[in-house]
Amino acid sequence: MPPFVFIAAVLGVLAAALPQAPAAPAQPSTTQMVLKKKAPVSNDVLKVKLPRPQEADLPNGLHLMVLEDHRLPQVTFTLIIPGAGGYFDPADKIGLASYTASLMREGTKTRTSPQISEALETMAASLAVTSSLSGPTASVSGSALTESFDKLMDLTADVLLNPLFDPAEWDRFKTRTKAGLIQQRTNPGFLATEMFNRAVFGSHPAGRVSPTAANLDAISPEALVEFHRTHYAPDHAALAFAGDISLADARRLVDAKLGAWKKTGTPQTAVADPPPMSTPKVYLVARPGSVQTTLYVGAQSMTRTDPDYAALTVVNRVLGGTMGRLFRHLREEKGYTYGIGSGFSATLYRGSWNSSTSVRTEVTEPALTDLLAELAELRDTPVPENELADAKRAIVGSFARDLESPQQVLGYYIDNWLYGLSSDYWDTYPARIMGVTAAQAQAAAQKYWGPGRLQIVAVGDATKITDLLRKKGTLELYDADGNPVK
Amino acid sequence: MKRLCAAALIVVLGLAAAPIRKIQFTDTKLKNGLRVIVSEDHAAPVFSIVVNYNVGSRDERKGRTGFAHLFEHMMFKGSENVGQNEQPYLIFMNGGTMNGMTSKDRTVYYETLPANQLDMALFLESDRMRALAITKDNLDNQRNAVQEERRLAVDNQPYGKTFEAIDELAYENFAYEHSVIGSMADLNAASVEDVTAFFKTYYAPNNAIIAIVGDVDTKTTLGKLDKYFGSIPAQPAPPQVDMTEAPQKEERRLTLEDQLARLPRIDMAYKVPPSSSPDMDPLSVLGTILSGGRSSRFYEAIVRQKQLSNGIGAGTNDSRGPGLFQITGTALPGKTLKDLEEAIDQELERIKTAPIADWEMEKARTGARRSLVAGLGSSLNRAVQISEEALFFNDPDRINTRADRIARVTAADVQRVANQYLVKTNRNVVLTLPKATAPGRGGQ
Repeated sequence: MPPFVFIAAVLGVLAAALPQAPAAPAQPSTTQMVLKKKAPVSNDVLKVKLPRPQEADLPNGLHLMVLEDHRLPQVTFTLIIPGAGGYFDPADKIGLASYTASLMREGTKTRTSPQISEALETMAASLAVTSSLSGPTASVSGSALTESFDKLMDLTADVLLNPLFDPAEWDRFKTRTKAGLIQQRTNPGFLATEMFNRAVFGSHPAGRVSPTAANLDAISPEALVEFHRTHYAPDHAALAFAGDISLADARRLVDAKLGAWKKTGTPQTAVADPPPMSTPKVYLVARPGSVQTTLYVGAQSMTRTDPDYAALTVVNRVLGGTMGRLFRHLREEKGYTYGIGSGFSATLYRGSWNSSTSVRTEVTEPALTDLLAELAELRDTPVPENELADAKRAIVGSFARDLESPQQVLGYYIDNWLYGLSSDYWDTYPARIMGVTAAQAQAAAQKYWGPGRLQIVAVGDATKITDLLRKKGTLELYDADGNPVK
Repeated sequence: MKRLCAAALIVVLGLAAAPIRKIQFTDTKLKNGLRVIVSEDHAAPVFSIVVNYNVGSRDERKGRTGFAHLFEHMMFKGSENVGQNEQPYLIFMNGGTMNGMTSKDRTVYYETLPANQLDMALFLESDRMRALAITKDNLDNQRNAVQEERRLAVDNQPYGKTFEAIDELAYENFAYEHSVIGSMADLNAASVEDVTAFFKTYYAPNNAIIAIVGDVDTKTTLGKLDKYFGSIPAQPAPPQVDMTEAPQKEERRLTLEDQLARLPRIDMAYKVPPSSSPDMDPLSVLGTILSGGRSSRFYEAIVRQKQLSNGIGAGTNDSRGPGLFQITGTALPGKTLKDLEEAIDQELERIKTAPIADWEMEKARTGARRSLVAGLGSSLNRAVQISEEALFFNDPDRINTRADRIARVTAADVQRVANQYLVKTNRNVVLTLPKATAPGRGGQ
């Protein structure tokens, strides 16, 4: 059990990819941090230039990306299909995109589900089709040893183009999934995320965390067939390979295996930002028997191309990165929690920022007060230069480690394609981070962490924490099934 | 669109299984007994360092459970020339990552850093091995963090107490019977004197192994290791751990109620030998056939066909002492643990008596090969593994031989170990039942 717990708070594409950083506050000082400065530290930040993938556009609209890297005899791939995500679910069929993706792997016109599993696992390959409930894309991804990659692409093409959506498999899937829907309600992190997304995104698709059993029952095998037929088009999709493969090999494979995947002429889909948040409140989810309170504090953030992205990345790292202010103050100085952190997501539509932690029930009030005070501190006082420089150095310095993994590097370039970032985005990214000033960091804290916009979610023993939470704002109480309690 | 040359188009992709590069390393000892293993690899401008101490919760005495892990937390609270939390601060500030992990069998500390920070990493690791700052304030502070960790990982989780109950039921040997996280009462009892004595006994250079993997020069690195660690004095060897476990004569069963769980769950633990036994490779293949992926027997028969559960795990973990082969499954709503147990038992009977298919053996072989390749992609993975092979088996080269060992396992070997170990008199069963809460008011 490691002493440092890294909380990947939200699904932030970059926030999750980069490890979070340290800091040294002026005001909310901590007694648990002493820099003796005797260790021989190299002051150079290793200059890292990420290798770039080769790219090509195919006649059916597919955008091909290949990051060739022959260090190891394995290849991974990701196919991203815009328009096939849960964002586009009809209101009465929430989960349709997600279940279409899951069922594609459960049998094709020529292979049963067990045959697919056996073929994949006998060659130690992986293949997954996924779509979230809220995002605009579906993805097909997999990996195999080089010697088996050709065969993996056979299976991939079959799953992508000829899924059967057998009613018997759909029934089996529903039974398993319903058990999962019950089980997830025992997890305080799930309950907190569900309530937080509802509070921050309202009825926008981004607010969806899980479907209900009723959603599942509303979907027929015919609906799955229809969703697959109309949404799995190559026109605006990208297929990215990393590892022991060249662009020429990839091109040959796509021609040979995916030749039947024809352009459909469907237009590029658009997404909308979530509506402005409602007035901040305190949402309490009662979890009987809980010995901890799980706290989420946060708000909407920004889109991926927002000019504030670098500033929020830096100030978030000062606050909630590993060894950041929250960790040093609430864990190391006060001993309220084992782990605390913060992070944000930024995609095609406005994402969310939050800070999260679990604290023992008895210290719920001081922990929440201190967490809010740390946010106020960053709004009110510029980050001291040394602390700011450390946070920026941590972000930029971590790129060297990414070079161990071609998939990781390719992931950055998939973001370029997905969000329309400039082709030299990652070459200039370190300079953009290093250029963030204390004033810009403070402005980002004021803009995104303003007291008038922070939603508070608590999951815990309602008999012990209801009254103290009322002090923090208008309180709404829910049970662990997500229903309001009067 | 880029036009591709015709020659490239006729290149044929891949085909025969390429031999996997062997991991090269040096394996030496400093004069004070510190074992150092260096594996040079310039694939990326980073390195990983692992300091693996030969101490875990199995070394704890009665009344001090949880101490090895609590001590691990103290290793981040400063030493003679390093301030409180300065070590993690410097690592993260310079683009690195680090942590510590305690198990029953060892305590490991690691950092992965850009290649230009080797001196910093060696300085930080050597300073805390040489002169840890041990104070009551630090101890009290980390006691809080560890107790919070226990709440997070055990007391506030569905099935959290089940994990502890399995080992307590299965083992009679104290070293392996108690949990790594320990009890709240024992954590409260830990004193500064305990910390001082533990440090002197177990955190000595002759009781540790360092592995460095990545973008380093071997000769220079060995010189630096001697410079930073060479003068730390050796200590008398720690006491041997009693690893004896009396043979089990009859099945043991326990039923728990869990207020945080919503579905019933069954855990079975069969006694198996330590990981040094040659039977561990066939037991590993047995685990793969029973529960590895969706082509496994448990998944196909019990999850997909009979629809009794939504997932069943089976297998062993590395253990220097007496080991366990564990099976865990949750019953779907409306299904009983009795039916689930019967279905699991049927599959166990089948693997003991009916033939194992060739593809099932091939799956285990390819899986081991794939793990080997994947591990090569991470300097940290290699450093941890190589240090553990050295510590547990005195043979760091096992990192290179595992895939070959698995490839030599036969179907007959798998059936032999299934028949030998997966018998009722050798098993421990824990049933966890959801405890109903008062209806209605949601905890009000």
